[in-house]
Amino acid sequence: MNADKRLDCTGIFCPMPIVKTKVELENLKSGDILEITADDPGFEKDLPAWCSMTGEKCLGVFREGGLIKGYVRKK
Amino acid sequence: MSADIGSSSGAALKPKLTMILFSGELDKAIACFTLATTAAAGGFDVTIFFTFWGLNVIKKKCFAVSDSQNIFQKAFNYMSTSRLPLSNLNFLGLGPLMMKILMKKTGAASLEDLIKTARELNVKFIACTTSCGVMGLGKNHLSDDVDEFAGAATYLAEAKDASINLFI
Repeated sequence: MNADKRLDCTGIFCPMPIVKTKVELENLKSGDILEITADDPGFEKDLPAWCSMTGEKCLGVFREGGLIKGYVRKK
Repeated sequence: MSADIGSSSGAALKPKLTMILFSGELDKAIACFTLATTAAAGGFDVTIFFTFWGLNVIKKKCFAVSDSQNIFQKAFNYMSTSRLPLSNLNFLGLGPLMMKILMKKTGAASLEDLIKTARELNVKFIACTTSCGVMGLGKNHLSDDVDEFAGAATYLAEAKDASINLFI
């Protein structure tokens, strides 16, 4: 997937990946895609849950080994 | 959205979370601030009401003692400080020390980081005036992050419109 911005959230735990995602998304334009890489296993469920809370579009969450990659399109 | 947000005013209301932080223990404070920061990042209005031992979390200095306090208040503020214990396995302060080292090693955010993040996300801090009065605590003893000094009615007015209210 082509991301407009990449955010590295490896090495940090809940709630910081979600907080960083929120802050990063504020700097993007509507329609931009943010790719987030995290290694907190909870992030796989937390990202779609957060998107459903905020109305942002979760384009998918993928597991690559120990890493989780999530894609969000800014509303 | 399944949360019942209510519709008392015409404006589009944000979902709201309020928490009463009654406990002054490190683990419970971390739980409180983890929820506060996550909710605030998720578009919630968040209010934390600090009362009783919870005030230890926002004390400026370890010993919040001053001349204006009577002997009991001084004694309490010497024994109950901003150096927060763990609710379990405290071992005279060894528990929290080990927990802080463990959290740093594993990359979990510290309580200080969570409080700072909460403020950046506009989480509102209310300090209970009754508890402050009983313990002899003034504005000078508590963090500048406190937005309001108020009582139960102020908390309930906030909680009435919130979809999630927690007592920790």
